Amino acid sequence: MLDLEDVHINRGGTHAVRGVSLTVGRGEIVSLIGANGAGKTTTLAAISGLLRPRKGKILFRPQENAPAIDLTTMKAEQIVAAGISHCPEARQIFGNLSVTENLKIGAYLRNDADGVARDLADIHARFPILHERGSVPGDKLSGGEQMMLAIGRALMSRPKLILFDEPSLGLAPILVEQIFEILETIRRDGVTVLLVEQNASMALEFSDRAYVIEAGEITLAGTGKELASNSDVQRAYLGAA
Amino acid sequence: MTLPYLIDQLVNGLILGSMYALVAIGFSMIYGIVRLINFAHGDILTIGAFAGLAAFASADLPFPVVILIVLVAGAVVGMVIERTTFRPMRGSPQVTGFIASLAVSIILENLAIMILSAQPRTFRIPAYLNALVDFGPVSIRVIDLMIVVLAIVLVIALTSFVRFTKVGIAMRATAENYDVARLMGININRMIMLAFAIGSALAAVAGLMWGSKYGQISPLMGVLPGLKAFVAAVIGGVGSISGAVLGGYILGLAEVLFVGLLPPALSGYRNAFVFGALILVLLVLPNGLLGRNTETRA
Amino acid sequence: MSDRDTFLPKFAALALIGAGLVFWARSVLDPYALSIVMFVGINVILAVSLNISNGFTGLFSLGHPAFMTIGGYMTAILVMPAARKGLMLPDLPAFLAGQEWSFLPALLAGGSLSALVAVIVGFPVLRLRGHYLAVATLGLIFIVQSLAVNLDGVTRGALGLSGLPSLTTTWWVYGFVLLTLFVCWRLKHSSLGRTMLAIRENELAAACLGVRVARTRVFAFALGAFFAGIAGGLWVHVVTLISPDSFSFGLAFQLVVMVVVGGTGSITGASIVAAVLTLATEFLKPVEESLNLYGASQIAIAVGVILILIYRPAGLFGTAEPQPLNLIKRLGSRHTSPANSPE
Repeated sequence: MLDLEDVHINRGGTHAVRGVSLTVGRGEIVSLIGANGAGKTTTLAAISGLLRPRKGKILFRPQENAPAIDLTTMKAEQIVAAGISHCPEARQIFGNLSVTENLKIGAYLRNDADGVARDLADIHARFPILHERGSVPGDKLSGGEQMMLAIGRALMSRPKLILFDEPSLGLAPILVEQIFEILETIRRDGVTVLLVEQNASMALEFSDRAYVIEAGEITLAGTGKELASNSDVQRAYLGAA
Repeated sequence: MTLPYLIDQLVNGLILGSMYALVAIGFSMIYGIVRLINFAHGDILTIGAFAGLAAFASADLPFPVVILIVLVAGAVVGMVIERTTFRPMRGSPQVTGFIASLAVSIILENLAIMILSAQPRTFRIPAYLNALVDFGPVSIRVIDLMIVVLAIVLVIALTSFVRFTKVGIAMRATAENYDVARLMGININRMIMLAFAIGSALAAVAGLMWGSKYGQISPLMGVLPGLKAFVAAVIGGVGSISGAVLGGYILGLAEVLFVGLLPPALSGYRNAFVFGALILVLLVLPNGLLGRNTETRA
Repeated sequence: MSDRDTFLPKFAALALIGAGLVFWARSVLDPYALSIVMFVGINVILAVSLNISNGFTGLFSLGHPAFMTIGGYMTAILVMPAARKGLMLPDLPAFLAGQEWSFLPALLAGGSLSALVAVIVGFPVLRLRGHYLAVATLGLIFIVQSLAVNLDGVTRGALGLSGLPSLTTTWWVYGFVLLTLFVCWRLKHSSLGRTMLAIRENELAAACLGVRVARTRVFAFALGAFFAGIAGGLWVHVVTLISPDSFSFGLAFQLVVMVVVGGTGSITGASIVAAVLTLATEFLKPVEESLNLYGASQIAIAVGVILILIYRPAGLFGTAEPQPLNLIKRLGSRHTSPANSPE
């Protein structure tokens, strides 16, 4: 459903991503793991149109049999409309907007008021706390609540593919586990997930497939299990001796 | 000092405050969304005044139509300025935009002088707007009432728009974080342009009010009210619409009462008083009465 | 060879060449042309001194006209013959009424008073950042104007002081241009100047390194104000008139343009742009008049500024001090130089 072909991206004057190619299949959870500064966030920013790659193709096929569209020349808002939602690093919820407004703004491009209301109810059912604290400004929420809000907001556009940037960042281990279980339920609802993580052990456990990115290049690829048992990965990312 | 005199002064303060508030809203909205102090904002007031003069003079248009023409004129000029000048330098240091806005101000003023000549003009309003309405001991002109009512209506309309509509929420989201707003599918260029359009439309209406109230307009008339409205925005807290309104009324009332109640020897210091207040507020309450801390925000 | 070793001889040589030019100009130019030359010089003093606060230290001040007004009035009152003071300013305080100074000390006194005001105003106001500071210093212009209108015992109010002696000559202007350039050049290449640059680049880091930020800022502001005061004194004794709106916000804009277009921090840049802009304005005036398009030159300059801000945000020279030869080379190779490409 998503194919990156030899993508090069410049960020802040440096050549941050150097020829990344990867594939995300429909209904998969795929993770991209790597150290700080390896180019993970930059890759996601290029997919969602915040950055424009200087070379390469990013092809997205919203429907099974539809022709693929090239995202590299599209604007961020067109990419959202095409069915990709991006849940950014550090959650980045709107602190001045209320919780409910944050959720509503996630559905900004939708015009089906009934559908939006139904999805809002769904998210409230999934995360009751977001209902309880609906009128509270976003920056008054705890870290875990903010993460739920960010996930809920990303779902409000009814995406076919969600990009998650370090959902575990800064959360307590028990919450991390919970967040990954939420990702699993999102996938079960038919949404494909591309995940960027430093927390490799958790990411590999929940992913169907994974890529390792180092200094802007993909160095390893395989199923989550394969990579989790790869000795290089264990040494570099899983803290094994 | 008599009661009618005091009431007169209060009404004058409210009128001046209404105009300051409308101009201050634009400063605040534009600052809130692009972190720019738009120095050319006062000149939009001039444009609104002349658009109003033209609308009144050219045909016997009803007052609401004149207001509409002025709103549109201000909005169009605001959008053109944003598109041609500020958008290409987005992302530059704040001061760059500020200097550019000074340049825009110089351009607008000189264009106005070139086209309209520097001579002040009489701003005539239809007789029914000049009629007096009696309120016990005082009588107030219809236009003066209109100014206050119109300002309140516009403020309520704007506040509801920003607070309750989808686009209003999107504007606030854009003001907070461009990138994340884009990830929501918001076209931030459109939101920024909209903020310029709304802010400029309100400033233009303030220009119409200014002409109607004081009866004379000139190409440089907007400079000082523009600066003072900025002071009002700072007092209220730059970036906050309700702060701008509050600051506008506080400054309008304070300025009129300063002139009206203190000994005449001091009234010449009116402008010194306003800018002294600005410096004082900046030092004591850098975020204004209702502002969030904007300087530490990225 | 370091900058320091070559600076004095170079400066002296350039000063001599300049003196030769002034001598030549005085012998061939008519009084009108000479007055333009003087305005060029005064604008160079203003732009270069504004560069101390706005360029070196990164304080965005618009306050120069306020200091020019202060310096202008002070100088004018001090040099005015006591007899005229009795006629023109009967309410002048006694300690001023009897004074009758010669030009140089009066100029220095005007500059010093401006600097003093800058220190008093600076300690609170310079805590403000970015365009907040800009607006506060703009407020200062209006406050000073307002005082000048209302303190009519000292200033004769809105009428202003007219019929001042035309004491300013090209030599006076040239002397102060040299002084300004000398002081600014030495300052920029001194440890104090580097401190100022450090504050501009990263105030917090500078403070962590033990720089006394507040003091340095106030010093930069006051030094700029000193030269602005002197320039004000020179100016009013060219035009033989000072009134509360002699130096106003429009001038602040022009000065900022000189600094920004020249490159914030570049003395050479500010000087060249100040000279070019002054001459351009003078030469465009008759063109404007003949076309009946008053204000066209202002519009052209403002449009130019916007274009420079969009395409060359660091100004024409950045912080650098181009050598005349390099400059010609650079202009010739405009399209290939990497420094030219916008981000």
